[in-house]
Amino acid sequence: MQAAGLVNPNTSWLNSRGAWLFYILIITVGHLILLSFPFLSVAAVWTLTNTIHNIVTFTVLHTLKGTPWMTADQGKSRLQTHWEQIDCGTQFTSTRKFFTAVPVAVFILASFYTKYDTVHFFVNSLSLLFVLLPKLPQFHGVRLFGINKY
Amino acid sequence: MAGDWYLYEVFQAFLSAPAYHLLLEAFLVLWILRLILTKSYKPHKTRLGAKEKEELIAEWTPEPLVPDTPSDHYTLHPRVVDGKPGKTVTINGKKILNMGTLNFLNMIENKAMEEAAITSLKTYGVGSCGPRGFYGTVDAHLQLEDKLAKFLGVEEAVLYSFGFSTISSAIPAYAKRGDVLFVDAGVSFAIQQGIAASRSHVRYFKHNDVDDLKRLLQLQADTDSKHPKRARVIRKFVIVEGLYLNYGDICPLPELVAIKQEYCVRLFVEESLSFGVLGASGKGVTEHFGISVDEVDLICGSLENALAAIGGFCCGKSYVIDHQRLSGLGYCFSASMPPMIASAAITSLEQLENNPDIFSALVRNSRWLHEKISSIPGVEVGGDPISPVKHISLKDCGENGEQETRMLEEIVQEAENQGVALTVARYLHNEEAHPLRPSIRLAVSSSLTQPDLTLALRVISNACASVHRRDLDAVE
Repeated sequence: MQAAGLVNPNTSWLNSRGAWLFYILIITVGHLILLSFPFLSVAAVWTLTNTIHNIVTFTVLHTLKGTPWMTADQGKSRLQTHWEQIDCGTQFTSTRKFFTAVPVAVFILASFYTKYDTVHFFVNSLSLLFVLLPKLPQFHGVRLFGINKY
Repeated sequence: MAGDWYLYEVFQAFLSAPAYHLLLEAFLVLWILRLILTKSYKPHKTRLGAKEKEELIAEWTPEPLVPDTPSDHYTLHPRVVDGKPGKTVTINGKKILNMGTLNFLNMIENKAMEEAAITSLKTYGVGSCGPRGFYGTVDAHLQLEDKLAKFLGVEEAVLYSFGFSTISSAIPAYAKRGDVLFVDAGVSFAIQQGIAASRSHVRYFKHNDVDDLKRLLQLQADTDSKHPKRARVIRKFVIVEGLYLNYGDICPLPELVAIKQEYCVRLFVEESLSFGVLGASGKGVTEHFGISVDEVDLICGSLENALAAIGGFCCGKSYVIDHQRLSGLGYCFSASMPPMIASAAITSLEQLENNPDIFSALVRNSRWLHEKISSIPGVEVGGDPISPVKHISLKDCGENGEQETRMLEEIVQEAENQGVALTVARYLHNEEAHPLRPSIRLAVSSSLTQPDLTLALRVISNACASVHRRDLDAVE
């Protein structure tokens, strides 16, 4: 945790409740679009929704680093992922809690609608692992095997 | 497929779900619940209770407005200067020869500059008090930027309102966290501030020691070859002064340019003192060594010394300089310089172009004084013979800096009594990166005539002799 003199516009918008609503709506709309394909079963659609959601959030929140805005941090965020920049690195903020709870909720729904099928379970839980582990405070700033370090 | 789907079946599946699956879900649900129920840290709301406030207030002991200062401290005995500190300066009502201020070309007493400033004042007033990007730019600023760029033969120049903040804004605009700066150990305080603000790694090399710089760059190259991925994202800078304010010597620019090519580093040269001083037409250290300005990545200069205006500038390639118009904090967030200062600086530059003889006069005066003062017994003169800034220090004073400073102060007082204004070089010793030797910072001006120089030499020589004699008497 550090003093945050100036707002980082790269992540400050995530704190707004409107952004939370937008996030949930995006998942819902994406799910409805997938449901509209007649050749996909409901189970397949839920697994697809969960996996696509996890791939996208993993890419955006946990692999992309830096900020397109010029901040007064002298390049500190250059080495930080989007997730690590949220609330200037402070843990257990409500924004972080919300963005942790949503993938778990989607996973539980997907498990339910896939009738607890083993193959679906394997795909869904593996993708969930990729978005939950990097969100843990213990993994803040950690780059396993130096991947994506610089 | 979708037709087979019934909610009933799903519930049936739930009831017969495998245990590992349900266990994982239960764990996740409990974990999320715990996460939600733990107290949230609210980033922007820290409220103190009345008790906490009182505790904090009770804990606080105010620092004294005036710290305990010994009664003989120089700040308690200020010298009051009336009028312009030009070739002569009026100290405490007495008009004496000025060798204390950095008035190398005596532009301070230039009538044309004064007239240009007054004309500009009548046209623009005192300025908008807005930053350059926010209603602060008038044509005088753009003309001065053009004029500076043309004078130095570069693509673009950018103006700052204060000489000190020029380099201390320019360095952090380029050097960021994780970058490596190779800095001469003798750089002035303004550069040290820029380095601190950049949050980069700093490697100081010995003052004007090219071999030491090479050693550090080689160490960095070795580290880089071990971590090529890291090396790709860090920038390396060499930061030197053209003419060192604290030493009065000139940086070995030809060697530095060769090193820059060999190790692929960026070269920043701070020319606050060398601009308008070194070189046949005052273009600074690049002209002095006959090196193209394009070899240096960024040149920073001050308009406050030779040009007798206020403010500073950075110049170089447009690609490099333009970056500062959005990233140089001093440029973005300080009020622009008053237009009359810009007009005065333009006139000052014109004067330099029209009178190239003043540079040879300055060199002649500097050389003569350097040679003569060096021969005064018990005295050492630091710096280059052609440098108009000379640091006079005492031989045989050992490590006792306080005693040396006291003796230098006595010499300055004695010289003032005899008609020459000098000054002891003052530093914030606790905040300087490296210890600096106590000295008298002598500033030579091109306007000094031979009788002035002879007078200055005689007075300095007498003052040194009498203080030495007094010191010897005190020891006996």
